[in-house]
Amino acid sequence: MNPTSSLLAGSGTTEKRRISVAQVLVYELRVRDAMTKEPVTAGPTDTMRTIQHLMKTHRFSGVPITQNGCLLGIVTIEDIINALDKGHINEPTERWMARDPVTLRDHYSLVRAVAEFDRYGFGRFPVVDGSDKLVGIITRGDITDCLVHHLERRAEEAVAHEAVLMAERAADEKARRVVVRTQIKSGDFDSAGKVSQRMRQVLRERGIDPDVRRRAAIIAYEAETNIIIHTIGGQITATILPDKVVIDAIDEGPGIENVDLALREGWSTAGPLARELGFGAGMGLPNIKRCSDVFEIKSEMGRGTHLHAEVMLEKARMVA
Amino acid sequence: MNTQTPIKLKTLLPLLQAEPLTDTDDANLTGCYISDLLSDVLAYARPGVLWVTIQTHRNVVSVAAMKDVPAVLITCGRKPDPQIVMEAQEEGLVLLSTKLTTYEAAGKLWEAGIR
Ligand SMILES: Nc1ncnc2c1ncn2[C@@H]1O[C@H](COP(=O)(O)OP(=O)(O)OP(=O)(O)O)[C@@H](O)[C@H]1O
Ligand SMILES: [Mg+2]
Repeated sequence: MNPTSSLLAGSGTTEKRRISVAQVLVYELRVRDAMTKEPVTAGPTDTMRTIQHLMKTHRFSGVPITQNGCLLGIVTIEDIINALDKGHINEPTERWMARDPVTLRDHYSLVRAVAEFDRYGFGRFPVVDGSDKLVGIITRGDITDCLVHHLERRAEEAVAHEAVLMAERAADEKARRVVVRTQIKSGDFDSAGKVSQRMRQVLRERGIDPDVRRRAAIIAYEAETNIIIHTIGGQITATILPDKVVIDAIDEGPGIENVDLALREGWSTAGPLARELGFGAGMGLPNIKRCSDVFEIKSEMGRGTHLHAEVMLEKARMVA
Repeated sequence: MNTQTPIKLKTLLPLLQAEPLTDTDDANLTGCYISDLLSDVLAYARPGVLWVTIQTHRNVVSVAAMKDVPAVLITCGRKPDPQIVMEAQEEGLVLLSTKLTTYEAAGKLWEAGIR
């Protein structure tokens, strides 16, 4: 038997998810959480007419009969209809009430309560505590209301929790994202390697494999020196993310006339000064390409060149 | 290019007629690479080798650091600016200078068993 399905049956996936939460709740929640506390009662010497009036004003369908807090019986709406029909509406309840009614204990779980409702087919149960004192009355409606109320609360808590988690994750991602950006001047050989050095430091702090560190550093260094030697200036940006390093070298021109040729090992247009300093092997771009997991170069004469390279960190961590 | 057993750099100084420009301490060598082209070193030098070159620019320090090259031997009696020597010292890079040509230095290193 599935106790909750009879209470909260529904179609669609959200309902299905809800039922699984409801299933948890019916085990956690107790009869005392769902019952109506301090129910209206009557005594054994009150008349059936008194009960009829109580039912009319409070819209009850059953009233427990007690003496000194102890449960003696219960008068239901059927008993009142019978009393009116058979003409004993003015007689005391003790003659017509159902004696020793089936009760539920206040510490029973709601799953057990639902089972009892299914078993007896009653509309309500009086609820007693450990010393058999009447402490409440419970209907199927009370159980449904209680579950819906708690589900709503759980749902609100879940939404709030989710929001906190997402905010934490966003803050985390941001902290793990470092951007190193430098403007690079034409002919400024002394400044070569700035981005490369800073990036290597961050990667070392993050415990990235030395080989991966080296590849990222070589890309940045070769791109920097190309801007110094071959362009009128530009900027280089290294973005260090949790899973990769992204390097973008963007210059203001003159652009590369033949990119295929420039990518060929040994091809160089470096001038005498650059050559004197050890540049001009024509190996920079091939080096960058070899070190990259993603490599793109776009160039337009008169406008400039955009070199984009990525080095994956996760893959390397697995190897290391 | 790489020797099997690392060799202590200090033991090679007399042979190379090398003047240490930085602290030489206990640098170990696992081989040698010779080139005056930076991109070539970036492409082919292995970590742990002695780099022999005539270059003296600051870029030598950057490239050596990037490739985990522990020591650079500068040939033909060239010496970098004191500023660059200081930067090398900070990076933990050993700089040596020798009057020998690159060819002569290479011969000595080969004779010393460095492959
Ligand atoms: N950003 C750029 N703008 C214009 N031309 C470029 C740019 N980058 C490279 N080039 C051209 O491509 C050629 C090859 O570049 P590459 O980096 O491979 O070699 P290099 O810079 O000449 O020498 P090396 O990098 O080995 O010191 C350069 O000589 C130059 O003509
Ligand atoms: Mg280049």
